[in-house]
Amino acid sequence: MSKAMEEHVSFRADHGGASVVRHDVRAGFGMLTPAGIVILAVTIFPILYSVWMSFNNIQLTENGFQFTFNGVQNYADVYSAPLFWHSVWFTVYYSIVTVAIELFLGLLIALAIQNVEKLKSVSIVVMLIPWSLITVISAEMWSYIYNGVYGVLNAILQGMGFIHNSINWTGEPFTAVIALMAADIWKTTPFVVIILLSGLQMIPKDYYEAARIDGANGWQTFWNVTFPQLRGSIAIAGLFRILQAFGIFDLPFVLTQGGPGSTTTSLAMLGEETLFTNLHFGLGAAVAVSTVILILGACVIFLSAFRGMVGEEAQ
Amino acid sequence: MKKPLYQRVIGYVVLVFFLVVILLPFYWMFVTSFEPNSDISAYPPAYFPHQWTLSHYAEAFGQFHFGRYILNSVIVAITSTFFVLLFGSMAGFSIARLPIKGKQPMLIFLLIISVFPPLVVITPLYMLLRDVGWLDSYQALIIPYTAFNLPFAIWILRNYFLQVPGALFEAAKMDGASVFMSYWRIFLPLTTPGLFTAAVFTFVACWTEFFMALVFNPDNTMRTIPVGIALFSGQYTVPYGTIFAGSVVSIVPIVILVVIFRRWIVSGLTQGAVKG
Repeated sequence: MSKAMEEHVSFRADHGGASVVRHDVRAGFGMLTPAGIVILAVTIFPILYSVWMSFNNIQLTENGFQFTFNGVQNYADVYSAPLFWHSVWFTVYYSIVTVAIELFLGLLIALAIQNVEKLKSVSIVVMLIPWSLITVISAEMWSYIYNGVYGVLNAILQGMGFIHNSINWTGEPFTAVIALMAADIWKTTPFVVIILLSGLQMIPKDYYEAARIDGANGWQTFWNVTFPQLRGSIAIAGLFRILQAFGIFDLPFVLTQGGPGSTTTSLAMLGEETLFTNLHFGLGAAVAVSTVILILGACVIFLSAFRGMVGEEAQ
Repeated sequence: MKKPLYQRVIGYVVLVFFLVVILLPFYWMFVTSFEPNSDISAYPPAYFPHQWTLSHYAEAFGQFHFGRYILNSVIVAITSTFFVLLFGSMAGFSIARLPIKGKQPMLIFLLIISVFPPLVVITPLYMLLRDVGWLDSYQALIIPYTAFNLPFAIWILRNYFLQVPGALFEAAKMDGASVFMSYWRIFLPLTTPGLFTAAVFTFVACWTEFFMALVFNPDNTMRTIPVGIALFSGQYTVPYGTIFAGSVVSIVPIVILVVIFRRWIVSGLTQGAVKG
């Protein structure tokens, strides 16, 4: 980018002189303005305002919102609440487990189907449908499948002899978490497969040829050619998914309502509840700010762990 | 180089199994939407319905407001997509082709803000919208949706603008075209694939967004599809037939979109991997 810019600037300087460049600069900032204003107004300003809110006691009165500065009191209250730590723990293990399973399954499926020539465009369309599906719809779909009284999952499992009595999937803590994870994995694994398939297609064929001539077996070829070449795609897919998983809201909102009890209450659900059900705006802001810090931390950890894991292999 | 037979067989078996697993829940939703209530709550359920009825579709679109939800979603998604393409292509062009300073920090800044979850902006926006009386309005969703989808669109479009030869820009200047004119007349038409990619990602993101729509537009006449469906469940029983009838109808336009734009969706999904 900077090279193209330099060429461009020197070209202009040769022909038009500095005033034309300055005119282009003005036009450039002019064309950035609409996007800049919208982004500043809707993301930067609210983020800063949330940080400010988290240090205030906020009351909703007839005259609007009344702010009273109370230092780190909100954070102290939030961090002393067991429910907060429960939500942190749930969000973290939920995200790690689902994303790990999705990456693993996605890699297996992508490797298995990479050489399939027929059905390609049909498969892509089918894999994109869960990606484009409204999560609330998928949650309703799964809630009908999981239903403890007339759900088809129980019927299938009983038909195959795996279980005797119907299971109330979303009613018990353990099965509720499994049910949530399965619905999530169903919806997002196709997305991972598509990213990894494109990554596989970009690996030069000569590499495989060279590995074959060197007498590498399938496993050696995978570890020395495929996996190092694919690490960029895996990192991108993983990062996208970690970001989404840490913000999980729609699926438990519909499928388990955070329950049973508060088993599946994610940080986003806790934040929403604190803010809009209980109207504790200061506390909610503290939850929100803590969530952001957690997400940023998770991204950094994921990227550096990933680099450490594949760094030596890649060379 | 043809792969050994066993590898191709495994490939087909895995692929077909995978596609079936993806499609089965859709099949179940589809047939359920045509079943009478007595069959919906029958156990064990019939894997293929005995009798078909359109009554849930009549309920969803006659008695209840699913038509309105779909209309709201279409209005919000199309308007947001329009603004994202307009503002995003202008900004992307500026970053790709104009001699402004601080491009690298701007791009990194865009990446960082797209990492922030809606939870952290939702309350200040709610308070602001409440103060100006814009809760339960189209602009309550169009403005944040535009902002949240701009970073990705700017990135994608900047990449496409970089692929158009810079000499074209100079040639247009020689002919006396203004900067805006060369963007509008020359560069924009040459980056249609980028516009398609940005458009379909923005549209799908707006179509599926739930959190902000739930908080900003809870009124029954202003709900989008996900909010309409999530708040539709009754107190004691879930009216699955009606929900699925509305869902099936709301899935159709997005599936058509995916079929038409599949190439550009895949290219958008893999852009990040190429750059990284």
